[in-house]
Amino acid sequence: MRGPITLLAIAFAGGLMASAAAPAADYILTGQKPDQLVLIDAKARSVAAKHTIPDAAPGVLTVTPSPDGKVGYAIVNRWESVSGIDLDSGEQVFRADFSGGDKRVKAMFGMDVSPDGSELFVFLSPVSLKAGEYEVGDTYVAVYDTSAGVGAEPVRTFPAPRRTAILAVSNDGSKLYAIGWDVVVLDAQSGEQIGVHPIRNWGRQNFTEPDVLDVWPQWSQADVFSTPYFTIRTDKAEDDPAAYAMGMLTLDLQTDEFVMEEYENFEVIIFSTVVNPVRRNEVYGVYTQLSKIDIEKDELVERIDLPHTYYAVNVSSDGSELYAGGTMNDIAVFDTETLEQIGSIELDGGNMALSSIRVLQR
Amino acid sequence: MSITQLSPVFTLLAVFAFAAPAHAAEPDELLNSKCSGCHARTDDGLQRIKDSRRTPEGWDMTLVRMAQIHGVKYAEGERAALIKHLSDTRGLAPSETAAWRYALERTPGVVESPEDATLAEMCARCHTYARHALQRRTQEDWLKLSHFHLGQYPTTEYQALGRDRNWWEIASTEVPELLADHYPLDTEAWNEWSAREHPDLSGTWRIAGHAEGEGPYHGTVEISAEGEDRYATVATLNFPEGRTVVSEGNAIVYTGYEWRGTADADGKTIRQVFAVGEDGNTLSGRWFDADNDIDGGTLTAVREGPAILAVIPEYIRAGETAEIAVHGVGLDGEVSLGAGVDIVETVSADGNIVVVRAMAAGDAGAGRRDVSVGDASASAALAVFQSVDSVRVEPANTIARVGGNDGPLAKVPAQFDAVAYANGADGDAGTDDDVRIGYFDATWSVEPATEIAAALDDVEYAGEMNTATGLFMPAAAGLNPERPYSTNNAGDLVVKATVDDNGSEVSGTARLVVTVQRWIDPPIR
Ligand code: HEC
Ligand code: HEC
Repeated sequence: MRGPITLLAIAFAGGLMASAAAPAADYILTGQKPDQLVLIDAKARSVAAKHTIPDAAPGVLTVTPSPDGKVGYAIVNRWESVSGIDLDSGEQVFRADFSGGDKRVKAMFGMDVSPDGSELFVFLSPVSLKAGEYEVGDTYVAVYDTSAGVGAEPVRTFPAPRRTAILAVSNDGSKLYAIGWDVVVLDAQSGEQIGVHPIRNWGRQNFTEPDVLDVWPQWSQADVFSTPYFTIRTDKAEDDPAAYAMGMLTLDLQTDEFVMEEYENFEVIIFSTVVNPVRRNEVYGVYTQLSKIDIEKDELVERIDLPHTYYAVNVSSDGSELYAGGTMNDIAVFDTETLEQIGSIELDGGNMALSSIRVLQR
Repeated sequence: MSITQLSPVFTLLAVFAFAAPAHAAEPDELLNSKCSGCHARTDDGLQRIKDSRRTPEGWDMTLVRMAQIHGVKYAEGERAALIKHLSDTRGLAPSETAAWRYALERTPGVVESPEDATLAEMCARCHTYARHALQRRTQEDWLKLSHFHLGQYPTTEYQALGRDRNWWEIASTEVPELLADHYPLDTEAWNEWSAREHPDLSGTWRIAGHAEGEGPYHGTVEISAEGEDRYATVATLNFPEGRTVVSEGNAIVYTGYEWRGTADADGKTIRQVFAVGEDGNTLSGRWFDADNDIDGGTLTAVREGPAILAVIPEYIRAGETAEIAVHGVGLDGEVSLGAGVDIVETVSADGNIVVVRAMAAGDAGAGRRDVSVGDASASAALAVFQSVDSVRVEPANTIARVGGNDGPLAKVPAQFDAVAYANGADGDAGTDDDVRIGYFDATWSVEPATEIAAALDDVEYAGEMNTATGLFMPAAAGLNPERPYSTNNAGDLVVKATVDDNGSEVSGTARLVVTVQRWIDPPIR
């Protein structure tokens, strides 16, 4: 059983919200094919701005807002560039192109901004295009100074494990979590590996290695990264449904607490999840269903069918509503208590596809 | 015509139809001028190119990639000339392709039998295992192929079967070793084959085979030489129920034995993927509609006798009298249909077809009989049976694809055949000693394969089974708002064939998955 969330953590979370001063409203930030960065007034259910990202086609991958909600960073240009767009003016205020010379370098999903907004972390996978052959290079994290403008070069780089899919900076800015096969904890300054929370290497008896694939940055409302995992219990008969277990992994970016606990037998695929910042025991997952999971009791609370598949989901700051997006070009809004659909936001134009659904306050 | 005009670029097999005269420039010069810009010349050839061998389709896929990714341009005839030259000088010997010909022949519903479990998991989830088993390389060049894969498709290590292991570490160490072990560049088979002279194939050939979903056919093809390794063909084919097709075409032979032909038949363009036998006197393989490769058939051909090609029909019921035709070349002499089958009379005999009236004894045991006409013989060519004890559906597992609906891709149907079996000595159906009787007419239906398929009403939405012919036509592509989650018309079905065996019904089933379109369809899948 996952322990009850400590009073300290709640107090701290509350403190953080309080310190975010101004009475801000929630905005959703996402990307649309081929080159759109879209800002949506969440409660008004309306598009506030659409900005065209230069040289972005064919699509927009990971989207990360600056902590002050002024700039949106997006992985674009066949994952070979990151562009920072001023969300008010639509101007490109930051750009880093990773490829150059005989190197083709792609960002593999993972990107985050330091809590003070000064540094941008991107996980990169390089290949050298030589005459008549390719040569795969080692993966690494590139760190950029967000004030470097257009044509930014990394201020430092450090190695990170292959197959990393999520980069998340701890709330205090000291740690960089590289989440892939395992959660590798890197010193955000030096890149030195300072810890590891094993996932694939969890070594639990009578369980297979858990399978995780999460490329959606949806932790910033609760400051908890969560992702479903699938594992098979080898001590159960193959035809026993209990042999196929779904679990929830959570990593608290405030406390470094890391938990993996099963909550149901495998029923449906869940692509991505989000933790409610207010009722912090509640996690919601999407794909062809919307699922509500209680991670204190480790149980499925409710599940409804969605009108179509949604890859990504995020939650309002008051914990009252969910925004399911990705895949196509509409965002469905659900009540977190009842899972009833209470709204829909049509984006028109290209699909969101794999783009992130972020919530920021402005 | 430049490569960019050939759109979509994978019109590969069409290139083989291109019976243009050999390119004016010496093929070696062409290779040097087109390729040495990036593949440096060495004493024994151009880098990368000298380190590998491929089938004609394999070479063409590489040439297309050089165009698509690396910007190589081919003038009219150049791509065809390069495929020919590369396949002739750096091909695979017949014994090296024998196990994997289904991939070249585009045989529907093949479940592969990989030789190596690690390679199957690492290398056969996006495409067939045959794709690499139909190449030969040095270990170093196999390693470079791994570099190409991850360099070009960096999500490989994130996908299922990529993220559950250290994909790149394995692909860059163990995999090239295994590949070089199983599929090395230097082989005795290739040294021997590439040193041989290859025979001219001109002449009159007798052919026979099974037209999928239709039944046995036979005929004659006149092959005439049209320059080196190029042939013109005129065929007359006799299908069941009196359907006769006259078909003209042409073909190129690669690597001394890889026959790739195109013919017009009944308003369709037919592709032929055959292998010439090592003695130059047989052809075998598959032909199919160029626009719909599930519509095809098997073929064997011989030109010199005495030899038996086929027995039609290939079975007789104990206690019955029937006309049986033996097809072949140089058929002359006494006919024998094996134990328990008496020849009542010879109806006709012309050297190519011998038709007899035969009677199977009422107590003749189930089994396949050797057939002979004079000096020509064929083993297990005729089945004798008492009753149909079980039915197997071929293919046992296959895929159909939604299509049409104003989209660019046509539907990909699935064609099934019902094959009757008699129990062997053990009296049980489904065991190794079952006797294959042959193809039977059947009544066809589909059922949901799983509870989910039943709940989603896949039978209703996924497509339509022709109850008489076993042809399943999938439904239209695209999201279907009538279905839960507006899902597309995919489905998971059991296909059922019911054979009427003199009044008693015997059924068999197969699994059919109806899925989405295949957007890229290279010659080796
Ligand atoms: C503009 C540069 C360029 C030219 C010209 C070029 N290639 Fe390549 N070729 C490459 C590169 C880069 C690779 C490695 C990446 C890859 O496999 O696509 C390669 C790889 C190959 C390989 C190895 C493929 C594999 O599967 O591992 C072969 C074989 C090859 N080329 C043949 C040819 C032939 C034949 C020609 C001439 C018709 C040619 N190339 C012309 C750039 C070129
Ligand atoms: C993630 C999917 C994927 C996996 C896994 C994969 N392949 Fe491929 N492979 C491809 C694609 C896509 C191409 C087509 C490249 C082209 O020609 O455009 C290809 C091409 C090839 C070719 C033809 C290349 C040529 O030009 O001759 C060979 C051979 C091959 N793969 C072998 C392998 C082997 C060996 C492995 C295991 C290490 C492997 N593949 C794993 C996707 C995959």
